[in-house]
Amino acid sequence: MPTRRMRLTGAAAAVTALALGLAACSAPGGARTAPSAPVEEITAPVTPEQVAELGDVTLSVWADQGEQDFMDQLVPAYEAEFPNVTVDIQFKSFNDLTATVLNAMNSADAPDVAQGNQGWATDGALVKAGLIRPLDDVADAYDYRAAAGDAITQLQWSDDGASFGEGSVYGMSPDNQMVGLFSNRAKLAELGLGTPTTLDELEAAFAAAKAAGQTPLVLGNADKASAMQTFSILQGALTPAADTREWITGATGADFAVDSNREALDRFAEWVAKGYVSPGYDGTSPDDAAAAFASGDGVFFIGGNWYAGAISDGAAFDFTPGLADGDHATSGSFGMPWHVSSKSDASLAAIAFVGMVNSPESAELLAATHRVPIQPVEAAGDDAMFAALLDASATQLEGAGPLYWYDWATDTMFDTFTGGLQEVLAGRESADALLDRVQSDWVDFHTD
Amino acid sequence: MTTLSPPRPGPDPARPTDRAPRRRPFLRRYDWDAYLYLVPAFAFYLVFLVRPVVESIWIALFDWDGITASEWVGFDNFAGVLADPQIWQATLHSLVFVVFYALLPTALALVFVGAIARIRVRGLAAFRALLFVPYILSTVVVAISWRWIFAESGPLNTALRAIGLDGLTRAWLGDFTTALPSVGIIGTWVMFGLAFVLFVSGLQNIPAEQFEAARLDGAGPVREFFAVTLPSLRGEIQVALVLMITAALRNFDIVWNTTSGGPGTSTTVPSYFIYREAFVTHQVGRASAIAVVLTLLIFAIVGAVMWLTRDRDAAAPRGGNR
Repeated sequence: MPTRRMRLTGAAAAVTALALGLAACSAPGGARTAPSAPVEEITAPVTPEQVAELGDVTLSVWADQGEQDFMDQLVPAYEAEFPNVTVDIQFKSFNDLTATVLNAMNSADAPDVAQGNQGWATDGALVKAGLIRPLDDVADAYDYRAAAGDAITQLQWSDDGASFGEGSVYGMSPDNQMVGLFSNRAKLAELGLGTPTTLDELEAAFAAAKAAGQTPLVLGNADKASAMQTFSILQGALTPAADTREWITGATGADFAVDSNREALDRFAEWVAKGYVSPGYDGTSPDDAAAAFASGDGVFFIGGNWYAGAISDGAAFDFTPGLADGDHATSGSFGMPWHVSSKSDASLAAIAFVGMVNSPESAELLAATHRVPIQPVEAAGDDAMFAALLDASATQLEGAGPLYWYDWATDTMFDTFTGGLQEVLAGRESADALLDRVQSDWVDFHTD
Repeated sequence: MTTLSPPRPGPDPARPTDRAPRRRPFLRRYDWDAYLYLVPAFAFYLVFLVRPVVESIWIALFDWDGITASEWVGFDNFAGVLADPQIWQATLHSLVFVVFYALLPTALALVFVGAIARIRVRGLAAFRALLFVPYILSTVVVAISWRWIFAESGPLNTALRAIGLDGLTRAWLGDFTTALPSVGIIGTWVMFGLAFVLFVSGLQNIPAEQFEAARLDGAGPVREFFAVTLPSLRGEIQVALVLMITAALRNFDIVWNTTSGGPGTSTTVPSYFIYREAFVTHQVGRASAIAVVLTLLIFAIVGAVMWLTRDRDAAAPRGGNR
């Protein structure tokens, strides 16, 4: 028979458990984290001596898995310069990172440095909750602001996270990502054409390719995002880039439901209707489409410069930025921004890390992994495709600049835009209906 | 009586013991010491199951981004969810999945079991194991394999072209009309093995005499199936349906890894919105409200299925079922 003591213990355990269950019953969430101890402003790159004063520290870093090659070079260089710091870096897939970084940065043992993602869902939420440190001083000290140029707005937020596109710089990102036009040089030569640089030339090339029995445009849209990226080459050619950026960053009165965007949607649907786009695109993954294009299918592939990993042969393929009609604007942005936690107890070491990632010196390391740095780099060597990527990036940044990504506009825009675009391309919804839905999503978000 | 003591001798163990002539107060009627053994398991259950459930229901009553201070909104989240046509559309898709994930595999498995009830199958164990493999495979692996099968240049279309049905070929998962049934077929393939294994084990518990008797009475295979096999498998069918319907209604991984809800919104499911609201738009209160509504829906449908498939012949034992 159990003793009285055992009964009491059991009862105590049950009560404790019950209490834990009921503990749920207080309002969830805390107040906005007050900006912790006044951030140490820096005026020059952090020196090893400053960091040495911290004693032995471990710097906890969360990064996208796409950063691994770059980090394999950078982390040893950082640890050599700051010998009292050990970097503990964790790589996550893009989806995992963006889904969990907010909670991680809010936890008691938040990483000192983490990558976020521009737009309301991740960076906006991080700023709003006061979880990351403004980096204006760091951007100046590491010559980052000048290299970023006008596109720095994608990293700026008001300090309450309520507006995007102006305010303090909250993140820094060393590489430029953009949508461009991959073309098959040999097939264009067979058609007697050069690389198209205007919308008319592009559509003429599509028609010629179709007439010659080729697939004009290879598309894989199973991820739903790829058609939206492809669309940007049309939209960027027809609508002024500044208007689109204002709309994406939520400027008062901005409107996406304009004639030029309607025309862009109608033209894209026409491409599909005329058989310019590879069949079954909604059921094909973009990676499979890029691989098919790299192995010789089709004449054009419109996609991010990151597909140069798959479409790597610069002798066979060319990469050009957006069309001259819109001064080379297409969807694009810097890569995932690096942030410094406002809770870090080693913020100088963290700043030194983010500063080094974005410094002119690291640009060469980044270029060595075939990513396009924002900071200027020496020539691309003998890799023709990488040279094309560098050219395209420079052309776009000097031209109208990137459009950013449509889905940054609101936290539900990805679904609204991508799902709707699939409907329009399939001829199940009119361009007007989609533009209405897109704009009312935007209005709802900004009147909340 | 404690659960550990040997059965008390006597003609009627259900009668109150003679050693306690006076009627015990209610709380003394059972020996509560026995429950002490349940405390560890119950505490675990409370902390890791009851608490999160209670917490979800509680959070559903707030407007909360998951981080900053929340605001009490009462049942507004529920009202918003129930008024959202996208959620209703997603629920409708889930009900279609019930057909593909539960009804179809059950029907197919019953046909198979009905067939093997009359014949001796060599290597049944191997056959059974093979059919069960889809159920234990990681759903991501399943989804990627089927994405390939359904692709524009995949084996399904190749086969169709080989027999001259070129007109039917398409990117099955990328087509507005075929995406939903295509994802459903994947579920049928996964769930068939589970139903089959359950039914085969049930089949082996049916006394051979029953089949013999049926045959002596002149029953053909169809009559035998409906008179012997089907009624004897009632318990297994109930278990299979409950498991498979639950899987159908909370389906997320296969949809996410094949179509991400597309094209358009043709394959959205409620779980997709729970994920989106919780992790993308940071409306944790609303995500919890969808989760609560989905749970209630699952309870309602599973409850209805259990009631429909209850054992109508057995006298209901006093004090509830079992």
